[in-house]
Amino acid sequence: MVMIRVPAPLRPYTGGAKEVQVQGQTVATALADLSLRHPDLRPHLFDDRGELRPFVNLFLNEEDIRSLQGTATPVAEGDRLMIVPSIAGGRPDQPALPRVDHAALRTNQAVIIGSLIGAFIADSGWLVALVGAIMALGSLLGVAGFLPIYRLLRAAGSFKPDVLPDHPEPHRFAQALGAAFLLAGSLALGLGVAAAGWALTWIVIGLAALNLFGGLCVGCLVYYWLSRLGAPWFTKTPPAGARPGRRPPAPSDSPR
Amino acid sequence: MTLYASQSLLEQIHALGEAAYPEEGAGLLYGEIRGDDRLATGVRPLPNSVEEDGRRRRYRIAPQEMIAAEMEAEHQGLEVIGVFHSHPDHPAVASETDREWALPWYSYLITSVREGRAAESRSWRLTDDRSMMIEEAVSVAQEARW
Repeated sequence: MVMIRVPAPLRPYTGGAKEVQVQGQTVATALADLSLRHPDLRPHLFDDRGELRPFVNLFLNEEDIRSLQGTATPVAEGDRLMIVPSIAGGRPDQPALPRVDHAALRTNQAVIIGSLIGAFIADSGWLVALVGAIMALGSLLGVAGFLPIYRLLRAAGSFKPDVLPDHPEPHRFAQALGAAFLLAGSLALGLGVAAAGWALTWIVIGLAALNLFGGLCVGCLVYYWLSRLGAPWFTKTPPAGARPGRRPPAPSDSPR
Repeated sequence: MTLYASQSLLEQIHALGEAAYPEEGAGLLYGEIRGDDRLATGVRPLPNSVEEDGRRRRYRIAPQEMIAAEMEAEHQGLEVIGVFHSHPDHPAVASETDREWALPWYSYLITSVREGRAAESRSWRLTDDRSMMIEEAVSVAQEARW
């Protein structure tokens, strides 16, 4: 017979007994006998696959069985086996962030700036409308509007992706905001209100340039600002360690 | 299902959570049992044995500490009735990790520490089928009494 000492939290499952006498040749068979005698104890010692739960520690005559032969450690008449819980827990993990290729975003911004300046020089409201439509389509699909151009550039080589853990939603929102400005601008140009049309277009050029050269995504900032106000649909908060609208830290910077 | 504690013990627990911030602080609660209620009379702060990086969101108390604590409690005629830990910048709600690692019967007192200041403390217990943590009442009085 081997004596097993049961810790206080598990005593309700042994009828209050602090110590239980069991049969067994090894730690494993002694535990099996214990859970046969007290079946309600079993789920707290073993998981669904029959493995010992990680917080269950066993000490045979005050020695951790991990430093012996684990659950295969032989037990003899008169041995004392102690079940000792290790206590652990903690707050929830941040859910893993999706990945966002910031090189694709920058290419998108560069193409937007280039084509809009071209549209201004050529005085083409149609080109403004086209850029706005491509950005709107990209936002609907959840990608950068000019993603195909980025893909072509990458296929041609010498273009490195810059993939960071980040929320795609704020970038999507920023692009949709730009698309709305451009579509409104092209409408103004079509109606002959050139000053308003070009003003809206230049706002988009300016904000895309601020993002491309200054690393600040104003649309993302607006998104996170709306999220702080509790606006519906704006559920994401800035990635850990990132300032809203700024580039998030590279994965190697994060703990673990 | 109520956890009784004195105001000064709760303040002591809050101070432990604040001292550990931004890491998680942890300790064991000593006390007495009466039916399904318990009266916490003391706290034994314990070193967090999680490696440096993880301490902001994890705590672990080594089994050797546990044995020592149980013996100390027994010596004082008390029992280890539960576990205290802090959630830095997170609500005092039992997490999925807390549930996975929880033992039945123990009271899991969680203190939310926001920007270094203890905000609220709530207590939880694991259900018999291990499926969830349910909240128990915390009754705080001037003195430690039922």
